Amino acid sequence: MTMQHDDSTTRRAVLAAAAGGAAVAASAPARAQQPRAKGPLVWLDMDQQALDDAYDQIVYAPNREQVTKRRIANSERARAVIGAPERVAYGATEIEKLDIYRTRQANAPVNIFVHGGAWRANRAADYACLAEPFVRAGAHFVILDFTNVDDAGGSLFPMVEQVRRAVGWVYKNARSFGGDGERLYLSSHSSGSHIGGCVVTHDWAKEGLPVDILKGAMLGSGMYDLKPVRLSKRSKYVKFTDEMEAALSAQRHIDKLNTPLILAHGTYETPEFQRQTRDFYAAVKAAGKPVELIVGEGYNHFEMLETLANPYGLLGRAVLAQMRLSTAA
Amino acid sequence: MAQRPPQPPRVKGPLVWLDMDQQDLDDAYDQLVYAPNRDHILKRCARNSELARERLGTPKRFAYGTTAIEALDVFTTKVPNAPVSVFVHGGAWRAGLAMNYAYAAEMFVNAGAHHVVLDFNNALETGGDLMVMADQVRRAVAWVYRNAKSFGGDGERLYVCGHSSGGHLTGVLLTTDWQKDFGLPPTVIKGGVCGSGMYDLKPVRLSKRSSYVKFTDEMEEKLSPQRHLDRLVAPVALVYGTLETPEFQRQSRDFAAAVKAAGKPVTLAVMESYNHFEVMEQLGNPYSLFGRAALEQMGLAPR
Repeated sequence: MTMQHDDSTTRRAVLAAAAGGAAVAASAPARAQQPRAKGPLVWLDMDQQALDDAYDQIVYAPNREQVTKRRIANSERARAVIGAPERVAYGATEIEKLDIYRTRQANAPVNIFVHGGAWRANRAADYACLAEPFVRAGAHFVILDFTNVDDAGGSLFPMVEQVRRAVGWVYKNARSFGGDGERLYLSSHSSGSHIGGCVVTHDWAKEGLPVDILKGAMLGSGMYDLKPVRLSKRSKYVKFTDEMEAALSAQRHIDKLNTPLILAHGTYETPEFQRQTRDFYAAVKAAGKPVELIVGEGYNHFEMLETLANPYGLLGRAVLAQMRLSTAA
Repeated sequence: MAQRPPQPPRVKGPLVWLDMDQQDLDDAYDQLVYAPNRDHILKRCARNSELARERLGTPKRFAYGTTAIEALDVFTTKVPNAPVSVFVHGGAWRAGLAMNYAYAAEMFVNAGAHHVVLDFNNALETGGDLMVMADQVRRAVAWVYRNAKSFGGDGERLYVCGHSSGGHLTGVLLTTDWQKDFGLPPTVIKGGVCGSGMYDLKPVRLSKRSSYVKFTDEMEEKLSPQRHLDRLVAPVALVYGTLETPEFQRQSRDFAAAVKAAGKPVTLAVMESYNHFEVMEQLGNPYSLFGRAALEQMGLAPR
């Protein structure tokens, strides 16, 4: 209920801006701030407050709770339409499981989805709404469960390790559910895209797996260098170390990247979430590796993911095309 | 609960409609009060319409009447002799252009239907008269019925769909006396999807919308679809969101109950946690309740 109070401030601000006929600027509709003296800069042109806000989605996406509610409702509905998934363990602990929404096509490509939630929240079941367009288009859709940073004592390593292991499991076991392990793709959102970035820049050869284990990935609204995140208030619950920052900043390991990427962000995301994607895109491009940038005009952080649940949405269309699946008649 | 920002406490005035005083009722017919992100979504839909035209090409534009606005955009499917969906846009009867409502075209075209988007006057241009608008959309549908073959369409599989005030006009289309007014069979329309509409104009007339709609007894009576269910011959699918205004939720619920009570086929889809404009946007998604309702009614599979 304290959230309610926080929310209403933002909604009033947006309402006031819209009612006043103010142009909807290209910049994010940030929470109206009390005038305040700017403190010392801690990252780019940001003081501590500005940086903290740039890593706090609710400041820029006041409708977070509504979008989350409808994602959960839509996922329940999707499961009623396409059936319950096959749930399989990819590891020994309770959380190391994945949901497989199967297509009818034989030997079909597979998309693996890694959910977000600031590394702290959410579960695979509540993302079933993403599956239907893929299942109908002829792909299996696999949604991963994995631990969260709070259960992992503030470390991001266990999450990254689990997701990598899950991808390895799908590669080795695709045939068991009618999938083609040689056509594995990954899609992800928010902190899931941070993890996704660590997966596509993983040294797969070290595990005896093909370096191009993933034939394509769509990383939406993610973080690819952890330095500014570490400087932000997220370090209250993520116990960053130099090693973690270096090992889990995908942008510092582009030499290991062997997967064509689609990177995406919305124009109403926080300044940092826009910059992270722009900078990673520029770095991958500068390295001469295949990458595409999608900028969703008028979408905030949470609304961007909703476009993956629509074959005609920005992300749904892009990922289907990446997988060479068509919705066209 | 609608996502309405909290209001400062105020003394409630005399009730003017159900449990609402004038302020409550005015707010219940003002989308912005309950959907603060209205302009963002309208911009998105305009942009996505632009992208749809880039991919599908410029639509064929035909005149269905003599004035410049009396024209319609046709996005054609490759399927021969295909069913036709006709879309009536909203905008509180006073705004909106067909070109900004092309965002759902690709879904219909790929599923195997032609998608027609109507232009028509708004109430500001008609001196506040909704009868002019009703007459235009009716003439547009009659034109499509008679001329579908010219763009590869099957006039005998004509469906209508609309949102908001376009949902109201879609209700009007569904309860039109086609035989008497146009000399056409009563079954011109094979099905209708009304999103977030209004089906009885009495409370609308009592609200501040009467400052720009010049309601008369005749207009209220003739253009309240809920009062003409005897003329309804096509199945109706109704859609609304749980974050819409209380009146926009009630209008759909009451219309659904009335059609059902009349023993005619109706479905009601409630979109959990969507506001008025968020419902509208979802027409472009074949896996949403709105897009799915439109395709299902036409017997088309989402793809």
